Amino acid sequence: MEENEEGKIVKHEEEDEEGREQEIWSWGAGTDGQLGTGKLQDELLPQLLHLTSLSSAGPISFLACGGAHVLALTSGGKVLTWGRGTAGQLGHSDTVNSPHPKLVMSLNNYFITHVSAGWNHSGFVSDTGALFTCGDGTFGQLGHGDYRLHCYPVKVSFFASKHVEQIACGMRHSLVLLRGDEVYGFGSGKRGQLGIAKDKINLVSLPERSCGFEGVKIASITANGDHSAALSADGHLYTWGRGFGDTLSAKTPQHLPTSFCFTKIALGWNHALVLTGGEVFMFGGNHHGVLSNPDKMTPVKHSADSRADSRAVVLEKVPGLEGSRTLHIAAGAEHSAIVTENGVLKTWGWGEHGQLGLGNISDQTSPQEVSLSHKFRKEASLIEIYCGSGFTIAIRTSCRPSQAG
Amino acid sequence: MSYDDVEIEDMEWNNELQAYTYPCPCGDLFQITKEDLKLGEEIARCPSCSLYITVVYNVEDFLDKKSNKPIEPSKQQPITVA
Repeated sequence: MEENEEGKIVKHEEEDEEGREQEIWSWGAGTDGQLGTGKLQDELLPQLLHLTSLSSAGPISFLACGGAHVLALTSGGKVLTWGRGTAGQLGHSDTVNSPHPKLVMSLNNYFITHVSAGWNHSGFVSDTGALFTCGDGTFGQLGHGDYRLHCYPVKVSFFASKHVEQIACGMRHSLVLLRGDEVYGFGSGKRGQLGIAKDKINLVSLPERSCGFEGVKIASITANGDHSAALSADGHLYTWGRGFGDTLSAKTPQHLPTSFCFTKIALGWNHALVLTGGEVFMFGGNHHGVLSNPDKMTPVKHSADSRADSRAVVLEKVPGLEGSRTLHIAAGAEHSAIVTENGVLKTWGWGEHGQLGLGNISDQTSPQEVSLSHKFRKEASLIEIYCGSGFTIAIRTSCRPSQAG
Repeated sequence: MSYDDVEIEDMEWNNELQAYTYPCPCGDLFQITKEDLKLGEEIARCPSCSLYITVVYNVEDFLDKKSNKPIEPSKQQPITVA
């Protein structure tokens, strides 16, 4: 079905002021242009992007991948977007797809420090604490008090006198973290993903404060599908929204009772990855039968059985990652990716669109190594990994010898 | 195996596709037409992949009866009432 372009990779090298080179590789579902390759097709193997628009914008410091679009944040505070734009989520003042990265012109006067991509909407946070959103607003997920789409980033006036630090966009909802640790939610709350009330919530188009974080220092927020999560500065994990596996939905943030200290969380549509002490654990992963093989997993006794909590989540250690610490984790809707301290990139889960980057469309129940071309020695490069719903993007930055990064 | 069970009120009417839709994890949309619903079809398929969802709805809501107002989609876009 797809033509394999192995060996025909176009070289794209970025050098920043310190002489480091950056490469961007993409693979998986690509029919909306989300791979940035300029071609509207799936790719089963990592494709090295050759993009003049990226070269001129400077090195990419962070990516956010949504349903079928990508937001790329440069170290200079600029934002490039590509992929599906039919709901205005690219912020280019139109509603068309863009198969190539394009600068979001209307944010040019701001220094953007954080971005998030939902199913069909986008959020941008500036260094001054302003929040901008665009894209599909059908469920109120843009926070403007309406249910319309906005095709360029519009400042969310609710937060005009507040300092926004982070935005997290899910399928139909958004979360905001303020400096001072308040968390807000807006959009669809049907599964409890806004965390704003114990009552049944349908749609909320203006931000409302999430409950249950009084006195807790929140370090990061995450959203995907109908799930929401937050990590506290001291490593505690809170989840709310749709339940994982057989667990029930939670309308307010639930603290995961465990002695682990978590450093990162990545949410899929039916699973989550968490990182603790360089080890990766997963929960909810047997949905769709492809994320993990329960027989191979090692359940960790940590759950809340002593509290007789019906929401008890079982953390399972991801097999096949022994011997090397994991640095980065990422989750697509139904696939997962990690990078180890040795610069090894591994993927597993649903593979029908090539989102595992293994050259086939097979599902994988345990982590498999993805090979990028060996231009850099593994030890001499840093890889960061990001997943959209059905696609994956890796950024590889070379390190100069004797420089750890 | 059905990827998920989705209530019709959680699906969005898409005028362009003339179908009720719901996000598919591949990035495309599960789709089912009113004609399918009238026939009692429960499966909404994604045109890009092998996944499908089971749509939860009352077929009576989609049969042609003047007195029976078709179910409203949960979004603002205008819909053509069959």
